[in-house]
Amino acid sequence: MQRFNLYQEEYHPSPLINIWLEFRRSHIALAGFVLLVVFLVITLLAPLIAPFDPYLQNTNAILLPPAWEPNGTVAHLLGTDSLGRDIFSRLVYGCRTTFGSSLLIVAISVFIGVGLGALAGVLSGLRSSVVNHLLDSIMSIPTLLIAIVMVAILGTGLGNAMMAITLALIPQFVHQTRTFVRNELQKDYVLLDRLDGASSVRIFIHSILPGMVELIVVQATIALSIAIIDISALGFLNLAAQDPLIELGLSLSQGLEVAYVAPWLIILPGLCIFLMVLSVNVVGEGLRSALRTRLHH
Amino acid sequence: MKLFIRYLNLMVVTIFILLLFSFILPFLFPGDLLTNISGISPQSNEQRIALEQVYKLDQSIFHQFAFYIESLLDGNWGVSTSDQSNLLHELLLAFPATLELVAYALLIAVVIGIPVGFLSGLKNHNPLDFSVVTFSIVGYSFPVVWLALIFITIFCLQFQWLPISGRIDLLFDVPTETGFILIDIARSGISNKADAYLDALHHLILPTASVAIVTTALFIRFTRRSIMDVMEKDYIIAAKSRGFTQRQIFFKHGLKNALLPILPLLVLQISTLITNVMIIETIFSWPGIGRWLIQAIYQQDYPAIRIGMLVVSLCVMALTITIEFITRAMNPARERAESATV
Amino acid sequence: MALRRSTFKSGLCVMMITAISTTLLGCAKPSLNNINAMTYCSESNPGSFNPQLDTSSTTADASAHQIYDRLLEFNPSNGLIEPGLASSWLVSADGLTYTFQLRSGVEFHNTSYFSPSRTFNADDVVFSIDRWRDKSHPYHHVNGGSYPYFDSLRLDERIKSVERINGYRVEITLYIPDSSFLANLATDFSVILSEEYAIELMTNGRPADLDRFPIGTGPYKFREFRQNQHIRFERHEDYFLPTTGPQQLVFDITNKGSLRMAKLITGECDAVAFPSQSDLAVIQEREELTLLQKPGLNIGFWAFNASKAPFDNPKVRRALALAIDKTSLLDAVYLGQATRAKSLVPSASWAYQSTAKELGYNPVRARELLDEADVPNDFTMNIWAMPVQRAYNPNAMKMAQLMKSYLADVGVNVNIVSYDWNIFRENLRLGMHDSVLIGWNADNGDPDNFYRPLLTCEAIPSGTNRAMWCNPEYDELIEQALLTDDFALRTAFYHQANKLLFEQMPLVPIAHAFQYQAIRADIENMEVNPFGGIRFDSVTRTKK
Repeated sequence: MQRFNLYQEEYHPSPLINIWLEFRRSHIALAGFVLLVVFLVITLLAPLIAPFDPYLQNTNAILLPPAWEPNGTVAHLLGTDSLGRDIFSRLVYGCRTTFGSSLLIVAISVFIGVGLGALAGVLSGLRSSVVNHLLDSIMSIPTLLIAIVMVAILGTGLGNAMMAITLALIPQFVHQTRTFVRNELQKDYVLLDRLDGASSVRIFIHSILPGMVELIVVQATIALSIAIIDISALGFLNLAAQDPLIELGLSLSQGLEVAYVAPWLIILPGLCIFLMVLSVNVVGEGLRSALRTRLHH
Repeated sequence: MKLFIRYLNLMVVTIFILLLFSFILPFLFPGDLLTNISGISPQSNEQRIALEQVYKLDQSIFHQFAFYIESLLDGNWGVSTSDQSNLLHELLLAFPATLELVAYALLIAVVIGIPVGFLSGLKNHNPLDFSVVTFSIVGYSFPVVWLALIFITIFCLQFQWLPISGRIDLLFDVPTETGFILIDIARSGISNKADAYLDALHHLILPTASVAIVTTALFIRFTRRSIMDVMEKDYIIAAKSRGFTQRQIFFKHGLKNALLPILPLLVLQISTLITNVMIIETIFSWPGIGRWLIQAIYQQDYPAIRIGMLVVSLCVMALTITIEFITRAMNPARERAESATV
Repeated sequence: MALRRSTFKSGLCVMMITAISTTLLGCAKPSLNNINAMTYCSESNPGSFNPQLDTSSTTADASAHQIYDRLLEFNPSNGLIEPGLASSWLVSADGLTYTFQLRSGVEFHNTSYFSPSRTFNADDVVFSIDRWRDKSHPYHHVNGGSYPYFDSLRLDERIKSVERINGYRVEITLYIPDSSFLANLATDFSVILSEEYAIELMTNGRPADLDRFPIGTGPYKFREFRQNQHIRFERHEDYFLPTTGPQQLVFDITNKGSLRMAKLITGECDAVAFPSQSDLAVIQEREELTLLQKPGLNIGFWAFNASKAPFDNPKVRRALALAIDKTSLLDAVYLGQATRAKSLVPSASWAYQSTAKELGYNPVRARELLDEADVPNDFTMNIWAMPVQRAYNPNAMKMAQLMKSYLADVGVNVNIVSYDWNIFRENLRLGMHDSVLIGWNADNGDPDNFYRPLLTCEAIPSGTNRAMWCNPEYDELIEQALLTDDFALRTAFYHQANKLLFEQMPLVPIAHAFQYQAIRADIENMEVNPFGGIRFDSVTRTKK
C-alpha cells in the first residue's frame, strides 16, 4: 500500500538532521565548519591548489619575504624558504599531510575501536570489567611515550608515528562503545529484537549502532584534534614525518633554523595547525551543544 | 573494602604487564641485544661472554626475567649507551625537574581553571561567559609548540625579558641535591641566594605558562560543561523552586556533584599534560625526563628508553588508578563510571 | 548581588596576577657577578675528555686548551711553533733525534678526585706518548685503543724510541726524518697526561676515568659533565703561565644552531660555536654582538666510499662530481662567504696551488660517463650529511638536499642519511656510507696535515680517510714530501698529488671557508684559532 502523509504540516526530521539544524543556529560553529571544509578541500585537491611544485628548489630566490613586505613578490605569495621553495605551496602540501594523516588515524581508530568495544560490550562479567579497567589504564599513557617506543623499535617515519597515535586513540573508542553497548543491551528494544531471533551482530549493526553514531562523531572530533596536535608535535621533534615529506610540524622545526631572518617561516605553519585544530574543536563544540539540546527534548 | 581489593588487583596486574613489556623491549629494538640490555658494547669476545653471563643471557627466559626484576629492585638500572652514566642516577636528577613543571602547571590550572569554569558555567550566555569560552577554545586548540615559540620570540628575543633555556643560569653554581631547584638553592652555599631565586623564577615562567595556558583552557571547558549539566538537573530546579538562593544551591549541591564527574576527565588530561610538558622541556632545554627521553631516542640509547618508559608509565598508571579509586570510593552511587561523556 | 560579588572577586584575582607578573618581569635581570665567569654554547657532547681518542673538534674544544698543555704550542696569529711544556728543543743533524728540555715547577690539577704529589716531569711525557705508541702499554686499550690522529699518520711506526734522559729531559728518536713531526707535537691531540694519576687509577681499578675525569696541567680544571647539558670548568690557580681568563667557565651544550643564536642574543651565552651562515648578517647588525672572522685552514668536501662498488670506479666518481654545480652550493649554503676549493689546501697554506685543475658543471658529460661505467638510470645512492655545523660546512643537510636535485637530473636517486654526531662518526669509520659531506680543519700549519690523514692508506682504519681510498702512488708522493725540509721541493710533491687526486677524484673539494666566532660585544681578547680548539685563558669581559 502506498504510504501517504496525511499530516503535511508536521515534519519530524531524523536525529541527524535535527543536529544539523541545531548546529546551524550557531554562527561560530558554522564558520568553523566552513574552515573545516576548506581544509578538507586542500587535503583532497592540493596538487591543483598549489601554484608551484613544493619540491622545486630555486637558488635565485632564497628566503624571499611574503608579498606584502617590501622585498616580496606576488609570484611567491607567502615567500620562499632557505632553498628557494615556495612557502604557499609547501603549506598546502603540509596541510594535506597533517590533516590527511590525522583523518586516516581517526578513521582507523574508530573502526578498530568500535569493533573491539562492541565485542567487549557483548562479553559480560569479570572479563569485560577487567578489559574496561585495563583500557582505562592504557588510555593514560602519554601519547608521546608510545610514539617514542614505537619509533625506537621501528624507526622514524610518518607511518610509524601514525601507528603510535592510532594505538593511543583506540582505547577511547573501545571504552565508549563498550559502555554504550552494555547499557543498551539491557534496554527493551534490544530485548524485543532478541525475542524476534536476531543474532548479536544484527542487533548491533541495526539497533545499537545508529544510536551510537552521534556519540562516536563527537568523540571523533575530539580524537581528530588530538591527532592533529600530536602528529605535528611529533613532526616538530623529527620523530614523525621526515624529509623530503612536507608536514606542518616538520616545517615548523625547519623554519626555526632561519627564524631571525625569516620569522614568517615559523609563524605560518603554526598558524595553519592552529586554525586546523580550532576549526575541528569549534565544530566539535557545536555538535556537542546540538546533541545536548536534542537529548534534552 | 571490596573496591580497594579490586583496584589493588588492577594495580598489580598493570604493573606486571608493564614490567613484562619493558623486559621484552630490548628484544624488539634494533641492534645488538647485549648492548640494548646492558648499555655496554663489548669490545672483545671475552668481554661479550662475560657480559652475557652477568645478564644471564645464557639461561632461560624466565631466569632472565627474574634477574631483570631483581636488578630493578636492587637499584641496578643499567647504564646509558652514550656515556655509560648510571641510569638510576640520571632519572633521579631528571624526575624532579619534570615534576616541578607538571605540579606548577597543574596548580595554575586547578586554581584558575576550575573556579573560572564554575563562574562561567553558572552565569552563562553573558559577555563574561562568552569571553571565557572563547579563551577556552582558543587555548586548548593552540599547538603547545607554537605557543612556546611565540612566547620565545616575543619575551626572549624581542624584549629580552626572560631567558630561553634551562632552569637557572649555569653560572650560579648550585649543586643538585634534591632536584627541586628552589630547595637546592636554599640548601646551597652560594652567596647571592636572592639573585638565584629570582633567576630560577625567571626561567620557570615561560615553560610553566606555555603548559598552564593549554591545561587551564581544558579545565575551564570541562568544569563549565559539568556545572552547566548539573545546574539543569531536576533536583537543582526543585531546590530553586523551593526558594534557595543561587549561592546556597551551588555550594550545597552543585559543587560536589559537578566536581565528581570531572575528576576522571581531569585524570585523562594528565597524559596530555605530560606529553605537553615533555615537548616544552625539549624547546626550553628544561632538564627533565621528557628531554632526557627524546635525547635518548636521537642517540639511540635503548637502555635509557626502556627504563624511562617503564618509570613514566608506572607513575602515570599508579596515579590514574589511585585517583579513580578515590573517585569511586567517594561516590558509591555510581556503580558504572562513564569516563567519556559528551 | 551575587553576580557583582563574583565578578568583583574574579576581577580582583586577575588584577593581582597581572600585578605580580609585571613586577616579576619588569624587575631588572638578576645581577650575576659574572665579570669572572663565562658561558660558551657548544654544539654537541664531547666524545671524551681526551683529544688523543678522537679527531672531533667538539672534543678538542672541550679539553685541548682547557685541561691540557702540549710540549709545543702554535701561535694562533702566525702559526709559528712556540715552547709549551718544553722550554727548548734540539734536532739532530740527521733529523732523527729530537731532544726536549722540559719546564720545571709545572703543577697538575688538584681536584676532588685527585691530588698530585709531584710536579710535571719527563715521566709524564713518556707516558703520554707511549700510551698511544705502544700496543702493549697497560693504558693502550683503555677506552677503545684507537687514536685516530696518530694512527692515521702511523706515528707509532715512525717513532723508534721515547726516552727519559733525566727528570726534565726527553729524547725522541725516529726511524726516518719527518719534517712535520714538530708540528704534530703541537697539535691539539698531543696532550700531556699525568702519569701519577694514571697509576693511581689503575691501582684502584678505574682506568677508564683517565679520559672521563681528566687531569692535566692546563689553565682549567674539570669540575662536572652532565651529558647533553653542560660542562663545568674552574680556573687552575697554579697554572704555570699568567692567565687573565674567567674564574668559572661553563660549556652549555646546545645542539640547535638557532637556539645557540637565540641564547647569544639574550645573553645566556657569551660565545657560541659555529654560527650559521644566515645568522652572520644578523650578528653584524646587532651592536651587542661581535663577529670575529679569519680565513680558515679548512676544507669542506664530498667524499665517496671508494671501497664500495660502483664508487671504486674513478669514472663513476668523476661523473658524480660533474653532475653538481658547486657555484650554487657556495651561494646557497655558504651564502657567498667561502672560497671555491679546487684542491685540498687553501690559499693560506704555503703549499697552495692556484693553478690546480677542477671539474666544472656538466650534467650531460656526467650522464655519459655513468652510462660508460654501466650505472643504470635510476641508480640509488646515499649521501651522509653531518648533523653538526662546522666552518667548512655550516649546513650539510641543506647541501645534501641541493645535491639531491642535481643528481636527480642525471638519473641518480639520493637518500639523505644522518645520525647523532658520535654515532655518525662511528658508522662512518665502519664504512657504512656511499658518500659523505664532511671536511677537515687543520690541526697545524703543515700541509701534510691535510694530505696524510685524509687520503693515505694508513689512515683508513683510524677513520680519518672518509673516502676509504687507498692508492700506493699517492702514499709514495706524500712520504717523499716528508723527507725533506725544502718548501719548494715539498710543494712540488704536493702539486703532483693534486694532479693524481684530480684524475682519481676520491673526493670532490667544495669550499674553503672563513672561520667565525660570534661573541658578546663585552668579551675581549678572544681569538679565532685556525688550528683547532677554542681557548679561554686570556679572554676577559669588560666591566659595564
